[in-house]
Amino acid sequence: MPGCQSMTTTTCEGEQHIIAAAQHILKLLGENKNLTGDFRRALTELDSHLSAMTIINESKRWRFSEIEEQLKCAEREVMRWESNPSLIWDSGPTEASEYIQAVNEIHTVMETLGGLPMNDHGRPKELAFRAQCVQQIAMSRLEEELYHILVQHKQSLEPKNIYFPPSVDFLYDESFVSVEDEIVEDTSERDNNGRESTEYTVDLIDPLVIPDIKSIASVMFASGYDREFCEAFIGNRKEALDEHLSNLEIQKLSIDDVLKLEWDTLSCEIKKWVRAVKIIIRVYLASEKRFCNQILGDFGSLDSYCFVEISRVSVLYLLSFGEAIAMGPYNPEKLFRFLDMYEVLADLHLDMEGLFSEAANSFVKSEFHDLLRRLGESASTTFFKFGNAIALDASIHPFPRGEIHPLTRYVMNYIKTLTAYCDTLNLLLKDRDVDDPNPVLETDNGQDICTSTFSPMGCHLRSFTSTLESNLICKSKLYKDGSLGHIFLMNNIHYMVQKVKGSELRLFFGDEWIRKHNWKFQQHATSYERATWSVVVSLLRDDGRTSLKERCRRFSNAFDDVYKIQTQWRVPDLHLRDDLQISTSQKVIPAYRVFLGMNDKNGSDKYIKYTSDDMEKMLLDLFVGSPRSLRNSHRW
Amino acid sequence: MPATEHQQSFLGRISIRRNQVIAMDGNHEQELEDLELFQRHTGDRFADLLSFPEDYPFTGEPFLSISWLRKLVDVLLCCEAEFKAVLIMGRDPSQILKPPLDRLLIDFMERAVKVLDICNAVSSGVDSIRQCQKLAEIVVSALEQKPIGDGQVKRSRKALSALMSALTIDDKENNHSRYAERTWSFGRRGSNSGGNHKDRATHGSFRSSSMVVAKNWSAAKQIQAMCSNLAVPRGGESTGLAQPVYIMSNVMVFVMWALVAAIPCQERSGLSTHFQIPKQFVWAHSIIGMQEKIGEEWKKKEKKGSAGLLEEIQRMEKLGQSLIEFADGFQFPAEAEKLEEVAARVAELAEICQRMEEGLMPLQQQIRELFHRIVRSRTEILDLLDNGKASQPII
Repeated sequence: MPGCQSMTTTTCEGEQHIIAAAQHILKLLGENKNLTGDFRRALTELDSHLSAMTIINESKRWRFSEIEEQLKCAEREVMRWESNPSLIWDSGPTEASEYIQAVNEIHTVMETLGGLPMNDHGRPKELAFRAQCVQQIAMSRLEEELYHILVQHKQSLEPKNIYFPPSVDFLYDESFVSVEDEIVEDTSERDNNGRESTEYTVDLIDPLVIPDIKSIASVMFASGYDREFCEAFIGNRKEALDEHLSNLEIQKLSIDDVLKLEWDTLSCEIKKWVRAVKIIIRVYLASEKRFCNQILGDFGSLDSYCFVEISRVSVLYLLSFGEAIAMGPYNPEKLFRFLDMYEVLADLHLDMEGLFSEAANSFVKSEFHDLLRRLGESASTTFFKFGNAIALDASIHPFPRGEIHPLTRYVMNYIKTLTAYCDTLNLLLKDRDVDDPNPVLETDNGQDICTSTFSPMGCHLRSFTSTLESNLICKSKLYKDGSLGHIFLMNNIHYMVQKVKGSELRLFFGDEWIRKHNWKFQQHATSYERATWSVVVSLLRDDGRTSLKERCRRFSNAFDDVYKIQTQWRVPDLHLRDDLQISTSQKVIPAYRVFLGMNDKNGSDKYIKYTSDDMEKMLLDLFVGSPRSLRNSHRW
Repeated sequence: MPATEHQQSFLGRISIRRNQVIAMDGNHEQELEDLELFQRHTGDRFADLLSFPEDYPFTGEPFLSISWLRKLVDVLLCCEAEFKAVLIMGRDPSQILKPPLDRLLIDFMERAVKVLDICNAVSSGVDSIRQCQKLAEIVVSALEQKPIGDGQVKRSRKALSALMSALTIDDKENNHSRYAERTWSFGRRGSNSGGNHKDRATHGSFRSSSMVVAKNWSAAKQIQAMCSNLAVPRGGESTGLAQPVYIMSNVMVFVMWALVAAIPCQERSGLSTHFQIPKQFVWAHSIIGMQEKIGEEWKKKEKKGSAGLLEEIQRMEKLGQSLIEFADGFQFPAEAEKLEEVAARVAELAEICQRMEEGLMPLQQQIRELFHRIVRSRTEILDLLDNGKASQPII
């Protein structure tokens, strides 16, 4: 339209004249020699402003019809796709770049028009509104395309595809009371190697489409649709994270539910949580943050804003599950789970610092640290409760057959499992005092003593076993037969020593403890022999008053009684049983042989029930735990 | 914060008192005085809340606004601190192990666990409101442009649909909106991209609440459960520690109930009928007053399926509705009068967004603080109960 064009041109020319006049005045003013420095500087600035305006106005001399043509062209491109059911970015790179080009053109048109003076009903204004409409259509479309690309090119993060060494699942026998110790044997190594510097990021979105997403971001941002872009982006990525959490089998549980779960289910949920927290924070969120940065890094701090919006809710949910667990109750079996949880969070401490480094996110970080601290407290509370529980475990009846008490098994297997957590426990127990019942002296045996022996954990573990010993002594007093009390203590202390010697525990207990306790159970063996056999053997002795016949009768009856009773007792450890049988034989058989030798001429044959060989064989039946009937039930 | 100061001096006084009490060999009167003070303080605090200028606009904290809710949570925090001081400080476990107090405390702690879940749900509701805020900000930025053209009106219309679908959510039907046009965007081409259509449709609504809260969890049921065994202490109990436990339980239930009514939460049907505080207690007067007010509002809103009674949400909803009417009837060029009207609405919407921007995060953090406080108190009470009992055998 020629009229319109000339109008624009006239306006421009008018401005041009005014600027020229102003510049002229400035020049004249500048020639005045009495000017102050400030004033002169102001003049110079004004002059440069005016020159700039001249340049801008030059660019406005665009031919208006060109602008219109440009818009029409872009509009055609945008509208072409509105009636097309397929997606632009699915249709090929050329299509996509043509579309982006069109959107850029619209933006240029709007910028150019924005620079023009507009009266209310002028042609430029009409054109500007038209451009705005097309832009809106294009923006909606881009949002849709964006969403589609994000969904379509999402890469599944199968846990098995994650590039970090999967932590060895830590298995142990939850009951700790199993008779077969082998089950709890080999508690396996855990992923205890601390933090490695490797970054575990993966591509959550096919890297090939990142330039596409970025180009959409750039045009949307340039057109002032940054909010729309971010909302669509955040919404989509939030969904993806949510979906990933369900892939990790994280189900949403209320605290009320968590507190009501059976232990087995709960333990299983905790294991899933530990794994999920590690994958989510170390791999997924690190990758998400990198992705946000790849897309939005060029637009100020928006990348971290989007990242936090995407991840905050999920992170807080994960932490909230941790809170529910940390609330207790503090049953001993929970200690390992507490420690697992504590360790995984402690290990992720630096990752969290990196992910939520901005001051505005201190909330998420402080929640994380609160939980870490609370889990630490829960772990030490449980640890000490365990100690108290050892002391308080009371029995009414003596434990049958003098065997290893379940408490002993439980405590020893429990603390053996704890050694795998020694670094963490040492940290948590650092400031807790304990009466070490078996203090290890520095001078004790030089190099054999390892630092673990002096560690807080070493002290506490020795205190636990000492509590256990006291409790066992109480339990041993329940036996009416003092001999069985000794067998009971011998068995149990021997078991403790074996557990210590055969595992990492020996580092925490030290050789001195082992020596001392070896001596202790041997003492009980000796005491047993004395208590049972001294009396029996003494019956053989000729006190000058009792007849040979009577002595034989008494001895045989006593021996039969012992045989009948003590074959029911049990020493489960074969070596220990052998040792005890041998030393019993050594005490009984020689004395019996001497007795037989002394009396074989006195016609004692008819009074003698067993040969020494018989007796030796019979002694081998003791402590097997199966009652035997006497070969000759005839009693005198 | 004056409330905190007050709280600290009160704690100090109680602990000194307790020491004296112990020294004086158990003075029952001092204890009665503590209980008396606790009741009075509780009553006063809630009375302060009710005395805010009801006639909005633009001054003070309107009833059920974000800043009012923050005061409400503050009151709960203060009452909680004082309650704990009365119940626990310097107390010999044997005193609280006696029936019926032991049973009352166990009920109390079950209530506390429910409070924790409600805190989480409400906190997630606050996140949903923030999402609304973001949508409203788009509306504001589109309609603030001058002059307004078709493009920007359409832009705002799209954000408004998403906003309204989020605001008029019907929590009975698991986050289904009654609005037909509830998609934030898209839909047309969803059909040829597999199952994505559904994903997109829910985008922009309160889907984030599903993240934190368990599937079948119901806010209304939690409130109901909290009230189910809440009996007025009778006879001898009414002068003992049963009284503060009763008061504190009611305070907790009321505040949780108000939060659930104000902020989007999962499953709230029948919320208005759940609990009744007997009118004879002086400390309860203001609570009952507020409860009636909120209850009436709730009944009105429940039928319409609103996101919550939060003052800002309600205003946002009204403004959104009228802006949708404007957008739907928009024809270029718009009349000057109409534009002025719209400009005023947009300014109000911007002001609400500003309030949300300033208030929502602090509210959320305060709710989190409440969460931690309740956890701590629960642990302390459990310890107290535990110390009186012999431990369980471990195997």
